[in-house]
Amino acid sequence: MLTAEHVTFGYRAGAPRVVDDVSLTIAAGSMVGILGPNGSGKTTLLKMLSGTLTPSTGQVVFGGRPLAGWPRRDVARRIAMVPQETHAPFDFTVLDIVLMGRFPHLGTFALEGPADLAIAQQALASTGMSAFEGRPFATLSGGEKQRVVIASALAQSPELLLLDEPTASLDLGHQLDVQLLLTKLNRDSGVTMVLSTHDLNLAAALCRDLVLLRAGRVIAQGPTEDVLTPEAVRALYGVDADVARHPIAGHMTVTPLGRVP
Amino acid sequence: MPPIRTRLVLTLTGFGLVLAATILTGPLIGSTHISLGRVFDRTIAFADNADAQIFFIARLPRVLAGALVGAALAAAGVVFQALLRNPLATPDTLGVSSGAALGAMLAITLHINLTMFGISSIPVASFAGSIGALGIVYALASARRRGLSTIVLLLAGVTMTAFFQALILFTQYLADFADTFRTVRWLMGTLDVGSYTPILAALPIVLAAFAMLATLPRSLDLISLGADAAAARGVDVVAAERLALASASLATGAAVSLAGPVGFIGLVVPHLVRLIVGSDHRLVLPASALFGASFLIVCDAVARTVWPSGELPVGIVTALIGGPFFLWLLVRR
Amino acid sequence: MTVSRRMMAGKRRVGALTAPALAILLATFLIATTQTIAMVQRSARPERIVSLIPAVTEMIFAMGDGARVAAVSNYDHFPAEVGSLPRVGGLLDPSVERILAIKPDLVIVYATQRELIERLDRAGIPYFSYQHKALPDIMTTIRAIGTRIGSSSQADAVASGMERSLGEIRTKAAGLPRPATLLVFERDPASLRNVFASGGYGFLHDMLEIAGGRNVFADIKKQAVQASTEMLIAGKPDVIIELLYGDSLKNANIATELRAWDVLASVPAVRAHRVLALTGDEFVVPGPRVVDATRKLARAIHPDAFR
Repeated sequence: MLTAEHVTFGYRAGAPRVVDDVSLTIAAGSMVGILGPNGSGKTTLLKMLSGTLTPSTGQVVFGGRPLAGWPRRDVARRIAMVPQETHAPFDFTVLDIVLMGRFPHLGTFALEGPADLAIAQQALASTGMSAFEGRPFATLSGGEKQRVVIASALAQSPELLLLDEPTASLDLGHQLDVQLLLTKLNRDSGVTMVLSTHDLNLAAALCRDLVLLRAGRVIAQGPTEDVLTPEAVRALYGVDADVARHPIAGHMTVTPLGRVP
Repeated sequence: MPPIRTRLVLTLTGFGLVLAATILTGPLIGSTHISLGRVFDRTIAFADNADAQIFFIARLPRVLAGALVGAALAAAGVVFQALLRNPLATPDTLGVSSGAALGAMLAITLHINLTMFGISSIPVASFAGSIGALGIVYALASARRRGLSTIVLLLAGVTMTAFFQALILFTQYLADFADTFRTVRWLMGTLDVGSYTPILAALPIVLAAFAMLATLPRSLDLISLGADAAAARGVDVVAAERLALASASLATGAAVSLAGPVGFIGLVVPHLVRLIVGSDHRLVLPASALFGASFLIVCDAVARTVWPSGELPVGIVTALIGGPFFLWLLVRR
Repeated sequence: MTVSRRMMAGKRRVGALTAPALAILLATFLIATTQTIAMVQRSARPERIVSLIPAVTEMIFAMGDGARVAAVSNYDHFPAEVGSLPRVGGLLDPSVERILAIKPDLVIVYATQRELIERLDRAGIPYFSYQHKALPDIMTTIRAIGTRIGSSSQADAVASGMERSLGEIRTKAAGLPRPATLLVFERDPASLRNVFASGGYGFLHDMLEIAGGRNVFADIKKQAVQASTEMLIAGKPDVIIELLYGDSLKNANIATELRAWDVLASVPAVRAHRVLALTGDEFVVPGPRVVDATRKLARAIHPDAFR
């Protein structure tokens, strides 16, 4: 569905490359985690996958066509992205925010009709936020905001959903909520998902495939069971860890044991 | 909440009626008593009819200038607040009206008496100043390949405002005493434009700016949530930001060159309107333009009548009404 | 003398002071000392007068004491002799340093120049404080300044002469009809924006009344009235007189400028083509030339009676 071919990005000519010669393929229906320490280029890579950032070299191809030449609206009808955090300087309601997801589907002067409202309400329902419809966005907790923004991205009716550190600022309960929500969306609605995270256990629990990113380069990619090894954890974070399948949860878990000397 | 279509119709009707009422009553108010019967009495020659002259030459241009300036400044305020993601932004945040003021100061002190299309040199020079300021902002914005950085724009705007203020003071320092007085007076702002010509000169610029802004409200909603969020929802952020910047600056430049720097409209009106219609820019933008027009007409009517000997500069009235109101708004939250 | 006490304390701590600081202290001390001497020698007949007020400069020259004027303001243009004198700043930006360098024994200041006055006080330099008011105050000022500089008889002659001339104009105009007159001294070029006219107080108003005009804004007891378009129309002036002077004469095409009034077709002055411009600094400098200015006003209002 989406492939990145040798994409590279540096913010200035001559500056160190934030993303360096990355190639990867996202299959339709998959759920891929981009895993790496802070500053490894995850967000930059996601922005290139979403088409909001053009690679310095290389290209991103979606459905057989390079993203570079697409009008923004066309891209946004296919690919949605949830940024790490969203702040609203004005008093938008939750429904306002979700309805903004309909932007790429409407003409310049078109207003949302009943169909758009239904899609937005459906998105709110699927993120469990229906009860918050009329609440001011600014008054929500971090986890609630994240779910509203995910609903807004869903209202774009995308084929591919990109999430940047979706649980980074959330407590355990909200982390689990978002985790379950994403699993359900991927499984029930068939939305292809790519999420970036530095949280090994989240990646292990959610994603069937992983891309390990260090200093802008891919050091390993493939099915989670194959890629997530003690060696990989050491290479990424400089931490000795025990990696084992959790007896109850059923997915891989990572327990840090000590700093690599 | 009713659907957006209904809310838009209600908003436009409501604020439109308020504006229509102020435009109709505005010319009836003034320091002199005039008889409406005489104003519209066709049997009296216009040259003999002082009441009609007061109505058509003194008051109506002021009311229309107030409508145009108020609408332009309020809409520009909305755009700058969204663009800079900062509710405290005003039409002057990026130095556009300081640039306009500097242009006017230079025209006054250098005694440039060129007259273009019946417009005196002061508004022409002040519009040129605002375009110059916009040019600098635009160049700064375009120097960065990937769109505008809000913080760079804000800092550049603050710097340019301070820089222009210094040049204004320098100009005043060099000026003849009477000219200094004249420049100080210009900085207070007035809607007593004296004829329709300057209004007709500013009108196409403001209308062009509004036409460009009409394509933008939804993009502004999204841009206010952040450039990345907007891009992800399908906004061409660089193009939208440049269009917004250019049109809001044109509107500001035209307004300031017509009436001088009338303060507080661009700050207070958008906030007041948001209290009533919410934050959706498809409602806030037209409602602010309509309400900004009404607000300035009312402020000018106060300016014309409240002071027993003569008139107050309208900028003082907008500040005296707008300042405390805005403080109340801040404390209320 | 607090200053010298501080000096002494400074000298005791000399070891702690750096050389430049010491130099500054010494310089301050020397200036303070010389100025104390100057104050002691307050002269009844000052010979080095610095005038910051063009009107007073003219008064002193009219008394025949122009030779004693040592420096003038940046705005002095009359009489021609002031052209060769040093300039020491204006109303808002008087240069204390340049004034001190002249070593004046009298400085003529405007009453609102508080900071300058304080500094002159500290420097011990005598000053004469002045303020524009009504027309009779000009003669009062002439007599006062004459007394101050030891030329009271010449001053009285100048003032009495002015009073006599003004009286003659008043008498001659008294029997004539008094047209409603708008006296404009300031407006934006090529438009009727920011029009400032004489209100019912001050020397311009007095001159207008003596010249046989009835000020349309006589009821507004201010020197300057900002007149909106509405006030201009409602005032119904029979005569409009625009005063042009100083920089407002630069680049100005008077005939074109006066055409700006044509939009007010109902105003009697516009209909009767009685919108005129009078040029010259004498209209805004309330000195001895107000007599000429008043005569010019009278000629503009009553062209037949005053030739």
